[in-house]
Amino acid sequence: MLWLEGVCCQRGGVPVIDTVTFGVARSELIVVQGEAGSGKTTLLELAAALRTPDRGAVWFAGRNISTLQQASLPFVRRNIGYATTDPLLIPEDSALDNVAMALAVRGETPRRAFELARDALAWVGAADLEERAVNTLSAGQKRIVALARAVAGPPSLIVADEPGAGAGDHLRATLVTVLGAARDAGAAVLAATADSALADGLVELGGRRIHLEQGHIAGAPAVGLVPDFTAAPAAELTPVVLTPVHDLDACAEVPPARKGPA
Amino acid sequence: MKAAWILRTVRRQAGLHRLTVFAAGASFFLLALLAGTSRLGARVVAHWGGLVGQNVHLLVYLGDEMDEGTSSNLADILRRAPAVAQVAVVEPTQAFARFKASAQSFGADGKTIETLEPAYFPRSLEIRLIPAPDLGARADDLAKRLRGVPGVVQVDAMGAGLARLSAWSSFGKRLGTGALVALALLDVVALVAVFVRLRTTLARRAGVLVQLGETTSGIRLPSGLWMAVAAAAGGAVAAATLSLVWRSLVARIERSLGMVGTSALPALGRSEVAIGLAVLVVLGLVLGYFATPVPESDRHG
Repeated sequence: MLWLEGVCCQRGGVPVIDTVTFGVARSELIVVQGEAGSGKTTLLELAAALRTPDRGAVWFAGRNISTLQQASLPFVRRNIGYATTDPLLIPEDSALDNVAMALAVRGETPRRAFELARDALAWVGAADLEERAVNTLSAGQKRIVALARAVAGPPSLIVADEPGAGAGDHLRATLVTVLGAARDAGAAVLAATADSALADGLVELGGRRIHLEQGHIAGAPAVGLVPDFTAAPAAELTPVVLTPVHDLDACAEVPPARKGPA
Repeated sequence: MKAAWILRTVRRQAGLHRLTVFAAGASFFLLALLAGTSRLGARVVAHWGGLVGQNVHLLVYLGDEMDEGTSSNLADILRRAPAVAQVAVVEPTQAFARFKASAQSFGADGKTIETLEPAYFPRSLEIRLIPAPDLGARADDLAKRLRGVPGVVQVDAMGAGLARLSAWSSFGKRLGTGALVALALLDVVALVAVFVRLRTTLARRAGVLVQLGETTSGIRLPSGLWMAVAAAAGGAVAAATLSLVWRSLVARIERSLGMVGTSALPALGRSEVAIGLAVLVVLGLVLGYFATPVPESDRHG
């Protein structure tokens, strides 16, 4: 479903992600574990199509999204559920509206969107928050609502950045259950955390752990690509997989002449 | 996003930002009112200015027995009078043409005008006197003498009234233009304030929608739509206000100036109202559309 191929990212001339290559398939759960400043958030922004790599390529559902035009990126993003430590929600709307909005963007009818949104809120144990305006919720409740929005549907890919930051045991257990269930429902799940307990919980559920250190995947070569890219995600790039991905066929790639340096 | 969702968002945003919607509607109302007042005001002023612009101090209407030759002789005699600066013979065809042009400039129905004939208009003399402090008195004196001439049906001595109207018209035109410009500037400031307020309140929503994968047009369309509705409502109320108030207002001004006649001027035509509303709707749509800021959706490095 997602394949990052030798991606590099710099901030102020300092490499944050340095030639990272890995992929996540449908019904697979990957936990990126690393200390603060190891590049987890940047890596997840690349995966969520919120950032373009300086070098390398990000493949999503068989398309190199690094070469897509700006106008095409929304069609990719709507297939990705993204949850961050700072949940970006519409404060004046209810929790249900916020969750349903993600489904509306994917093209669901209002009726279906609210149905799925209620399911998602119930899934994360926040059914009682449905009608509450987001600006009346606590920080923890907002994070739960953001998680419900990320898994609602569920989308083809779920990207969760530090979902358990500051979470207690109960919330951590909920996170593990929900992300595992989303994976079981067919979504590709990519989570990043510095919380060993959460990472362990997800690994116990059958997740694969990747250690990120100073922008490198621990154990992987620092320079050069992991070979045989085509072999690794081939199973995920079939038309069968592409079919349920919303609107991706509408994406337009940047003409070759306008491509930046590789 | 499906149309049902867009409509739902429009309703929701309009409900959440009631004050802003009201302010936007009021601003568009004022804008439409100013535009309508300018248009109607220009018509009335043109009419009044036309009267003044003729610079005619006496109008002498002649009977049917005064043919072209007799009228011409009377004009020649009058030209020799010491206080007279100019005398012009206005033939029925000329009078009809003037009326037609004037009526059309006020938006009168062409079919009604076509039913008239030049023969309905009398032959007349337009007399301009040499400017002097006692112009009014001399005009009255000449009018009195002309009324005794066989073939003269009616004489209007307009000197004093026209001089007063000319001064008032000029003053009113300047005052009106100044007031309209000042109000228009205030209205533009109000619209800019609405725009800025909207940008602030809608910024977070836009940020969320970018992250969720909504397209730029999908993010901006709802605010554009409800702003267009506010503009249409404001414009419609302004048009209704003008149609109800304008005639009585003009009539009151004319009465105060001792004038008769122009209060029957038509209000704004349907096509004018339709064009005005369309312009307002487009303006509202554009303003609302771009009031929603769309943050940079892709970050490099």
